[in-house]
Amino acid sequence: MSVIEIRNLTKFFSISINGEAEGLTAVFDVSLSVSQGEFISIIGPSGCGKSTLLELIAGLQLPTEGEVLIENQVVLEAPPTNRDEFREYQKKYRFRSPIFNSLFKDTSRFDVSMVFQDHSIFPWKTTLENVLFALKLRGITKDEMESVALKYLSVVGLSGFENKYPYQLSGGMKQRVALARALAVKPKILLMDEPFGLLDAFNRERLQEDLLSIWEKISLTIIYVTHDIDEAIYLSDRIVIMTPSPGTVRNIVQVPIPRPRRRGDREIHETRENIQRIFRSDIAGEFEDYMI
Amino acid sequence: MRRITLIEIENELSLFLRNSFGSIFTFEFLRVAVPILILWEALPQLDIVPKSLIPPPSKVILCFFDMVAHRKLLSHFGISLYRFFAGFLVAVVLAVPIGILMGWNTFIRRHLLPLFQLLAPIPPPAWVPLTIILFGIGLKMQGFLVFLGVFYPVLFNTYMGTKDTSRRFINTARLFGASEFTILREVVIPSSLSSIVMGLKIGIAIGLVCLVISEMFGASGGLGWLLVESKDFYRIDRMVVSMLVLGFIGWFLIEGMKYIELKLSLWKIGEVSG
Repeated sequence: MSVIEIRNLTKFFSISINGEAEGLTAVFDVSLSVSQGEFISIIGPSGCGKSTLLELIAGLQLPTEGEVLIENQVVLEAPPTNRDEFREYQKKYRFRSPIFNSLFKDTSRFDVSMVFQDHSIFPWKTTLENVLFALKLRGITKDEMESVALKYLSVVGLSGFENKYPYQLSGGMKQRVALARALAVKPKILLMDEPFGLLDAFNRERLQEDLLSIWEKISLTIIYVTHDIDEAIYLSDRIVIMTPSPGTVRNIVQVPIPRPRRRGDREIHETRENIQRIFRSDIAGEFEDYMI
Repeated sequence: MRRITLIEIENELSLFLRNSFGSIFTFEFLRVAVPILILWEALPQLDIVPKSLIPPPSKVILCFFDMVAHRKLLSHFGISLYRFFAGFLVAVVLAVPIGILMGWNTFIRRHLLPLFQLLAPIPPPAWVPLTIILFGIGLKMQGFLVFLGVFYPVLFNTYMGTKDTSRRFINTARLFGASEFTILREVVIPSSLSSIVMGLKIGIAIGLVCLVISEMFGASGGLGWLLVESKDFYRIDRMVVSMLVLGFIGWFLIEGMKYIELKLSLWKIGEVSG
């Protein structure tokens, strides 16, 4: 049974340059089905719509066409293309945008959590307050809140930094706060947008292992966006390879290597060669077109 | 509620004083200030410049005490402050929420922003004749002029700060299920606080300008009125005292804002999110 079902998802950004409408297709006709407890990585060069895809899944952006279903519920409806219907639609949402949760009540429709690329922890809150903020929004009772927050901060190795403000933390530590915040709400689905990109190699490997152990313990579905092919192979069950302009799914590679995996295994190496061949052929193809 | 101890008040006060007067009583600044004062004192005393036109500091100080004793300087000072704060508070109470709402919602922004953009460029002093006719001479008219001076800078700074709230912070809160109200309270307002304080600082400066103008044209008391009266009696020393007192009000209020910034550590927020 699939938890996340993406059907012909397209996202088009319109930009007006000198009064003329120009556009950018960030995500084009992407279909993907993610099953319960799966670890999926999305890799591809920058600008291929990976982050946009994640935001579409998270319901932070409206799709242009197609839909994302989480547990058979549509995340956000695409705006109608018919002019009259679109006018109706605009009227309906003139005051509140469709991506709003609610005006006064804290509710989230889906058990989705996300680690953003640039950590995105609030600089006016301490480490602990940042985690508590997310817990409060998810309606966790007050007595529980503090112990849960402290537990997850210790999981990511931030015990003793509870009352520090983000400006007192290093880039990697901020990223770990973001991870703790995302995990503390105990989501069913975790979206990660290059979460360990800022970390040094030691911490990255440690956190990758921590992430895997958490993922194995609870039935968490993870969609993990990264640049790093090795990281993707080490962590995931399937790897979605995307190509830019427009952002489409080039290929989906299964990673049938049994767990626990070891870095530097022959199988990992082979899978890596395979994926690199795909990228290389893409680049070579481009050159051929260019020469003709 | 926690009781505030005397030591805490003392600490706060010393922090405020250190930050406000600290920049004045530095060796570097005294090297500039002392020669200026000496020149100011010496030139009129030696009759290099006419004494009747430029009163030396010693005379100004004497005049200050004379005005406190015989010209009710303190009550003029008080009434000016009263007028200023009447306009200032109304302006802040209106401008901050409207600015936040305009920055948050495009529907509200499209309806209100053009109105303010059309009205804001009218220089507040240009309102004087109209306000005198509409409100007569009194607190309403003076308060309204101060209001005009404070309202637009606070409004536009609040609006810009709110609008420039980083998308990723709003997205984060929304993803975890924050309602729009929670986003405003927990994300938008804290992140735009430094812009709001900036707007308040500009508002104080322009508000004081408007206060003086309103008192010059339509008041029978207050520091602005005192200036005009001193002119009529050709008392330059009194003028200088009124000017210095007005300057002190502005300086003190802006130092107060700086202190608020320091207490909220706003610069740190700017550093991280910027």
